[in-house]
Amino acid sequence: MTDLNRDAIQARLQACTSKEATFKELVSLSKQLERLSDTEKTEDNKVKGCESAVWLIEHQENGTCTFQADSDAKLMRGVLLVILSLANGHSKAELQAMDLVTELSQFNLSSYLTSSRTNGVLGILKQIQA
Amino acid sequence: MAFDANTLRAKFPILQLEANDHPLVYLDNAATTQKPQVVLDALMAYYTTSNANVHRGAHYLSDRATAQFEHARDRVARFINAPQADHVIWTKGTTESINMVAYGLEWCLKPDDEILITSLEHHANLVPWQQLAFRTGARLRVLPLTSRGEWEPEYERYFNEHTRIFACTQISNAIGVKTPIKQMLAAAKAVNAFTLVDGAQAVAHYPIDVQALDCDFYVFSGHKMYGPTGIGVLYGKPHALEVLTPVQTGGEMVSHVTYNSTEFNVLPYRLEAGTPHIEGVIGMATACDFLAAQDRQGMIEWEQKLARYVYDELKFHTAIEIYSPESDTTVVSLGVPGIHTMDLNGYLDSQGIAVRAGSHCAHPLMAQLGVSSTLRASFACYNTLSEARRFCDVLLEAIEILGDD
Ligand SMILES: Cc1ncc(COP(=O)(O)O)c(C=O)c1O
Repeated sequence: MTDLNRDAIQARLQACTSKEATFKELVSLSKQLERLSDTEKTEDNKVKGCESAVWLIEHQENGTCTFQADSDAKLMRGVLLVILSLANGHSKAELQAMDLVTELSQFNLSSYLTSSRTNGVLGILKQIQA
Repeated sequence: MAFDANTLRAKFPILQLEANDHPLVYLDNAATTQKPQVVLDALMAYYTTSNANVHRGAHYLSDRATAQFEHARDRVARFINAPQADHVIWTKGTTESINMVAYGLEWCLKPDDEILITSLEHHANLVPWQQLAFRTGARLRVLPLTSRGEWEPEYERYFNEHTRIFACTQISNAIGVKTPIKQMLAAAKAVNAFTLVDGAQAVAHYPIDVQALDCDFYVFSGHKMYGPTGIGVLYGKPHALEVLTPVQTGGEMVSHVTYNSTEFNVLPYRLEAGTPHIEGVIGMATACDFLAAQDRQGMIEWEQKLARYVYDELKFHTAIEIYSPESDTTVVSLGVPGIHTMDLNGYLDSQGIAVRAGSHCAHPLMAQLGVSSTLRASFACYNTLSEARRFCDVLLEAIEILGDD
């Protein structure tokens, strides 16, 4: 299982003072994301509306949600790592009560949120809460 | 006046901006161009000196606005060498122009008729025809142009007695290649098809002569030729415009209305329902005048030189595949197998460089190229050689950073 220490990730991204630094940090974080196998990358698991392909799988055990996600783009894999660090280990009800957009903006990722018309981050958040 | 990019550049205030702590390098011109000060001034002047509704007459401001509005039609007509200003219909852009034709010609299609497009179309010149085919039972056929865009004698057979409409782009937005428009239009005319040319990617670069092209319809957008957004043109030959059923009806496009009947107005008003985009029209005409006042030959040579510079810098790099032609283009569309174009785009953006990563509204063409997206740098008159060089340098940096696993 990927080590998704939310606070550590947040600290690393908050230390970035330029778009270039954020870019490099996301690329570096992307390496921590556990990749999906080809058989898991099904059409059904694909999140619609993303310019890069994004797959999202949800598991529930004793009311706790765990997500796995992957993308063919590195930046997106970095963003997915951040999203998973927020979402994993919560119940559906807790996730639905969370303001994920605001949470994500605390990771210094607002420009990746505003470009969501093409990258589909909002769609991923919606699916996590659905 | 000899062409000089730096002199021209100074006329575009937005190009002074910084983006992500770097000087802005704007190479997304095929998506939309930046606007020169004269166009911005024209928009402001309209609202500060002339704003009123048009064609309603009866007062000082309305006369001024109407005169400017109709004068703009003359200026745009001259820009594309249309024989008469009445042949220029204002629309909100290329997409609306094509839809007006696709709906307006619906009456003339029946099952077994064919609509012919090419494999290099933007979705705007594909989906309206596909949907028209669905509605009427006509067949949509696709002329399989290659990414080199040349004419092949065997294309002749795509034009036959069933071909009712032929619609084609002059230049591919995704890869910047010119299509063999003259041969295709000749073949379409030989079978009496209606012809439509999508000039969206051509107008900013090449002088347009609709009479020499001799197509029935020519469509383009203001925002891709240094004009405002939300304004475009549907040019048509009189017989072609006459037979279009108006898609939108309402005010301005009628001459007499009762509860039982409506008499439509004459062209161009018949196809312009409602209050038009007056300041857009004036801004677009100003952009036409701006372009017409330049050394057009010098301008296109410059733009092509920038694209060629990038092509030559990158062509021997084994990681890079270039999908655009080597010459005669203002676009370099490329990919780096193994690295997602969105990642390349993300790094370029972090360095202040604006390009476009994506499918460029051309999914079937991407499939033909065997990719899901490309990275496209597209040049305009105000770009410089140092910007072209910076694009190459930063792209190679991006490949270095992203290609390490
Ligand atoms: C070749 C081509 N056709 C049509 C369009 C659509 O133009 P608009 O979005 O201005 O209607 C574009 C714009 O990207 C284009 O490049």
